[in-house]
Amino acid sequence: MIRVVIADDERLVRTGLRVVLDAEPGITVVGEAADGAEVLPLARELQPDVILMDIRMPGLDGIRATELVLDALQPPPKILVVTTFENDDHVYEALRAGAAGFLLKRARAEEMVQAVRLVAHGDSLLFPAAVRELAVHHAARRGRTPAPLPRLTEREGEILRLMSAGLTNGEIAERLVVSPETVKTHVASVLGKLGVRDRTQAVIAAYESGFVRPR
Amino acid sequence: MSTVLGALVGRRAALRWVHLVLGGALLMPYWLLSTVLLTPALPRGNTDPGQQLLAQLIALPLSLPMAAVTALVPMVRPLEGAAARALCAGALAPRRGGPVRELASSPARSWAARRRTSAWFVLHVLLGGIVSGMSLTVPPTVLFLLASSSGALGHTGRDTLHRAFGEYAPPELLIAPALLFLLLTTNALSGALLARCAPALLGPTPDERLAAAEQRAAELAHRNRLARELHDSVGHALSAVTIQAAAAGRVLRSDPEFAAEALQAIEETARAAVAELDTVLGLLREDTADGRRADCGPTLAGLDTLVRQMGLAGVRVETHTGPGLGDLPPELSREAYRVVQEGLTNVLRHAGPVPARLRLRLSGGRLEVDLENPLGADRPSRPGGGRGLRGIAERAESRRGDYRAGPQPDGSWRLSVRLPVSAPPAPPANAAQPH
Repeated sequence: MIRVVIADDERLVRTGLRVVLDAEPGITVVGEAADGAEVLPLARELQPDVILMDIRMPGLDGIRATELVLDALQPPPKILVVTTFENDDHVYEALRAGAAGFLLKRARAEEMVQAVRLVAHGDSLLFPAAVRELAVHHAARRGRTPAPLPRLTEREGEILRLMSAGLTNGEIAERLVVSPETVKTHVASVLGKLGVRDRTQAVIAAYESGFVRPR
Repeated sequence: MSTVLGALVGRRAALRWVHLVLGGALLMPYWLLSTVLLTPALPRGNTDPGQQLLAQLIALPLSLPMAAVTALVPMVRPLEGAAARALCAGALAPRRGGPVRELASSPARSWAARRRTSAWFVLHVLLGGIVSGMSLTVPPTVLFLLASSSGALGHTGRDTLHRAFGEYAPPELLIAPALLFLLLTTNALSGALLARCAPALLGPTPDERLAAAEQRAAELAHRNRLARELHDSVGHALSAVTIQAAAAGRVLRSDPEFAAEALQAIEETARAAVAELDTVLGLLREDTADGRRADCGPTLAGLDTLVRQMGLAGVRVETHTGPGLGDLPPELSREAYRVVQEGLTNVLRHAGPVPARLRLRLSGGRLEVDLENPLGADRPSRPGGGRGLRGIAERAESRRGDYRAGPQPDGSWRLSVRLPVSAPPAPPANAAQPH
């Protein structure tokens, strides 16, 4: 059962999301927060698997709340940023802060459900094309060359490229003709070397450093 | 060789020649006037062509100060700028690695700009006068010399040359091309000099550049604000509606009660969003209607109209205004108008059609705006979290003022904004606010 907490200052959005997710087998909404400041205590108490996080909230915003929760909880829950617009600068900030992905408020109910399942499972990238676009756009806008990536082995580099292309662990295993367990080990060591929390951040780092280039 | 030829008779040289001839034409009135002024100084009845030529040459420097003075008129800059842009080919090409250069298209307001325009004008008419004069005299002379060398004119040509040069008169076939070359070179050099000086003399002054940059920043800030308002109002409302509709659809059979509630929420949210869209589009229309920038919206002078509109929408506003509001700086007056507008829109959105009391007055160097209304019976109040309130908070902050909003013990809602009258506005940091 995937346990979900919803943080959004709009009651209509919270109840809507709750009803959509609760209607789904295998997903249950265990709590709601109306402000970023309420998220950490609530998450500590309920230990959810996934937190749906609105970015703009009156007190503490979703980016800061994401950082707090990820720093404080072990194991950290997956954070799914909920946003009105895709081209919102703060979506990228949230992804850099460690959010596992983002969800558009206008997404279809099935897409919302799938997004929650996907980040809870954690072995593939949510909306690879959109994440790629965000990373490329923002890396270009920052206009600086970030620190190069730490040395990866050839195999690890290959896996980071495939991750960035949006392949799941299973697909990567198939492509490289190795077992999914091996891929999992490699992914873990890539994340460890890059010092990032999940594959979304790894992909952002790959694009920002120029390790992977947009085609 | 071909580049030299190109520089002398190419398309660029031809355009620049037209520009210089225009300068010569502009010189004419001043030059005629100086000739007239010089006439009394000449001995009466003098018909010596040498002296007359001298008088005409002296008239040239004499006409320049007059040209300089008239070029101080502000409109000269855009006119000369337009001419230079069209004809002074290459004036705008960036110098090696430098930025693209520009000529100002607005009238010269500051004295620095006028002086520079004046210097440009003098240079233009002086070089133009020289090139025009040469253009008028050289071709006939060349034809004359060629005809003379072919013997068609008998001894006339040779005699003229002897009169000018004495014993050692060079042959016509040497002088004719030399004269042509001199004309073309003078034209090319003058044109190049003008092209080189144009950006410095006709370009915007540092102050004007700064002002233009500030205006661009203000326009950008305004666009950001409009984007934020659309985002905050319509964007959020529509996403709430989408989510509610999705939820209602999912539980239509299993939880009809929720579905009904959701439908009602959708209706209300959509209605409020349309109203808000109307407001934002109104802001846009104001901008385009008077063709001016953002911050040129209505001021407190338009308060009566606003109050009337709100009355039509169901919020009857009882207004109390203190003295001196008409003398406020326009920016402050505009911000105050927006605060009132957003405050009243909030009343309509959260409390519905209820009467409101608005008080505006100056006290202790601050403009006080107080808006009070009874809380709507069946609407949930959200302390401190409303969207319009955030806009008001941002406006107050941008004027270094403060604001307070919340329910009162007597069951009413009160919004209080205090804006210092003389504070310099805070820098526009709004672009970095979370959406």
